[in-house]
Formats: sequence, C-alpha cells, structure tokens
Amino acid sequence: MIITQNITKYFGGFCALKDVSFTIGKGEIVGFLGQNGAGKTTLMRILTSYLPVTSGEVLIDGKNVARDSLIVRKKIGYLPETPPLYLNMTVKAYLLFAAQLKDIHPSQQGLQVDKVLEECNLNDVQDKNIGVLSKGYKQRVGIAQAIIDDPEVLILDEPTSGLDPVQIIQVRNLIKSLEHKRTVILSTHILSEIQQIAQRVLIIKSGEIIVDRNLKDLLIEKGENLEDIFLKLHAGGENK
Amino acid sequence: MSKIIAIAKKELAAYFKSPIAYIVLIVTISIFNIFFFLIIDENREASLRDVFKVMEFLFIFIIPLLTMKIFAEEKSGGTMEFLMTTPTTNTAIVLGKYLGSLMFFTLIVGMTLSYYFILELFGQPERLTVLSGYLGIWLEGAFFIAIGMMTSSWTKNQIIAAISSYVILFLLYFSVTFIKYFSGTLEFLIRYMGTSMHMENFAVGMIATVDLVYYLSGIFICIMLTRLSVENRLWR
Repeated sequence: MIITQNITKYFGGFCALKDVSFTIGKGEIVGFLGQNGAGKTTLMRILTSYLPVTSGEVLIDGKNVARDSLIVRKKIGYLPETPPLYLNMTVKAYLLFAAQLKDIHPSQQGLQVDKVLEECNLNDVQDKNIGVLSKGYKQRVGIAQAIIDDPEVLILDEPTSGLDPVQIIQVRNLIKSLEHKRTVILSTHILSEIQQIAQRVLIIKSGEIIVDRNLKDLLIEKGENLEDIFLKLHAGGENK
Repeated sequence: MSKIIAIAKKELAAYFKSPIAYIVLIVTISIFNIFFFLIIDENREASLRDVFKVMEFLFIFIIPLLTMKIFAEEKSGGTMEFLMTTPTTNTAIVLGKYLGSLMFFTLIVGMTLSYYFILELFGQPERLTVLSGYLGIWLEGAFFIAIGMMTSSWTKNQIIAAISSYVILFLLYFSVTFIKYFSGTLEFLIRYMGTSMHMENFAVGMIATVDLVYYLSGIFICIMLTRLSVENRLWR
C-alpha cells in the first residue's frame, strides 16, 4: 500500500530524513516512534504530499505522491500534530466543509458528517463553535475530519494528545477497529499506546529508521517491554 | 468549481464571525456617508465623481485590513496543512479565498449604491457615468484585494501581510505624485502603473480597454503570484 524508496529530506542544510525506505501493507497498523525532532512529523507530511522529498520516491497504492498528488490525497485521511481547525466554525459546519473538500458526493455529505459525529462522540457539541471546545473535543474533531471520507490510509500524528483516559481508550478502540480494513500510521510519545494498537513499529532516530520490526517479534526477541527497548536504543545507538 | 464555492462561502462567513468585519463595514460606510453629503453639499451637482475619489483613497487603507488574514491566518493556525492535504488544487484554494473576499468587498460597495438613488431623487445624474464609476471602483477594489491576498500568502504574520500591502498600494497610488521627476519610458510606465489615472477615466464615464486591461491583468498576475507563493511554500 505504501512504499518509500530511499527518501531524503533536507531543510536548507539540515538533514531531517536520511535514506528512509520501508513498505507498509494494506490493513497494517504501524507506529512511528522517536524523540522530538527525530523526523516523524516530516515523514508523515511527506506521505500526505504536504512536503516534497529532496530525493527518493513515495508510492501510495501505486501512485507517486509528488506526481499524482491529488489522487493520493483522496486516499489519505490526515490528522496533523496540531488539529487543523477553524475556531470560529461550528463542529458540524467544519465537518461539512471537510466533506466538500474531500470529494464526498453532495447527497452523502450530510450522512457522512452524522456518521463521524456519532463515531467520535461529537453529537453533543455539533452546533458549538470549535474555539470554545476543550482540547479533547478539538482533538476528536480533528480525528473526525480525518476519517470523514473513509480513507484507505489514515495518518495520525499523536492522535491521543490532550485526551482524557476515557477518550484515549475510545480513540484506541476506533483505530483498532480499522485493523485489516484500513492502513493506519500513527506517531505517539506514549509507548504503551503503540504496544496496544500497532502490529509493527518503526523507530526513527535523527532522521534514520533504526528499527523496523513486527512489534510482537521485537518484544519476544529482546525480552523487554517497548519502553526499555526504546530507551536503550536512544542511549546506545543500536542499529537496525 | 464546487470547492471554490465552498471555500469562498467559508471565507465570507469567517468575515462575519470576526468583529473586524463589522468594524470595517460600519466605519467605512460612516466615512463614505459623511463625505457623500459633504461633497454633494459643496459641489451642488448630481455626480459621484469626487465620491469615487474618496472611496478609492479609503480603500487603500481598508482593504489590507480585510485581506491580511486570508493566508496568514491559515498558516499560523495550522489549517493550511488541512487545506493542502485534501484533494483540492492550489488554484481552487486561491480562487475560493479570493472570491470570498471579493464578495465581502462587493457588499461594502453595494451598500453605497444608495448614493445613486439619493441622486436620482434630487437630481438627474448621468446613469452610465455613475455605473461606469461603480465598475471602476469595484475593479480597483478587486485589484487591491488580489494584492492583499498575494502579500498574505508570503507570511504567517498578519501585520507583516498588511504592511506589505500598504507599501504596494501606496506605491501604486502615490507614484503619480512624483511623475514630474521622471521622463520618457519611465514616466509612461509610472503613469500606467499608477491607479488614479485609470480610476479617473471610469469616474468620468469613460470605459477604455487600456484601463480594463490594467485592472484585469493586475488581478490575474496577483492571483498567479499567490498560487506560485502557495506552491513555493510547499516545495521549499
């Protein structure tokens, strides 16, 4: 479903990603792990076609994200690190706007909005301005816009940030329910979250992938929990 | 097309959800009303020619306040990332945003149409001259909005966007003042680039191709540059 081939990204003289290659199959849930500034968000922005690569190639469902950007964007639902919300719009108006931009047929737009309002537990606040909502609600509105068109690929940058424990469980369950149906990539600082949701983990350090493994295999091989593995990798610099 | 309209509607609605739109509307119309009555009282003629001059001058100060947020707010708020990761072309984003602001500006101009009806009540204004004046002021505003949108696409800071607009608009408006210091091609160029000569023609009822080309090409160039700026920001 997703193939990245030797992608490198420079911002001026700074190398944010170095020769990154991986393949993600349809229906996989993959967790991106790494410290702040490791390159997770840059990588996600490249996958969504928001940022170009300096070199290398990214294919999503056989389409190049740079050349066939519009086709690729139809397949992707994206929640950036900071939910991209218009604070002066109501939740419902915003989701309707998202539905219009995401090529949902006019006759289906209202239905899809109602569906995600239900799925993300936003019915109570649908007529409220987004600006007055709590951080948790805002995060859920961000998730709702990402899934409104039932995208084949869901890219979530810290999806549970700012949510309370109940909401975290709801979002985790929502992501888990997509297993085998949608390809999901998520980044988070909460290691236990990756352990609970993802089948596979990519650990990124200073723009390079230092671990790309099936999560269960990794845990069995190392005989440790993910937190210890992560800390050791970042302390010692173990390679793939 | 439906996406352009969706973005334009969102843009227009955003104006009415911010106090700045109401302040601009009330202040602008109040100032226009005062000048309308002062000018009519002074000139004692059923003409809006001098009123259009005042409108043109005031739009230089007002329009950057309306346009400074167009892209700068999207960038600072992170919503640009949302817009540009939906299957929407950069052209649709730029045109939608331009259309939304143009609709708000049209509303301001539309509110001054009452001046024409007042003139009709008390005198015999030349209809075509008034219509041509309105077309001129609308085209000029449309050009100023395109400039404001372009500067807004350069930065995420609304103040910088507004100041950049002011610099360009002042250059276009006041450059003719310094025309006597120039000669030859430069003189012609400055005279052509300046807005006042073109607007003056419309205000006296003269719709010339050269003036239409000036405004329409100005709008087109600014929209193209905005699109380029949006893309460059992406591909840097």
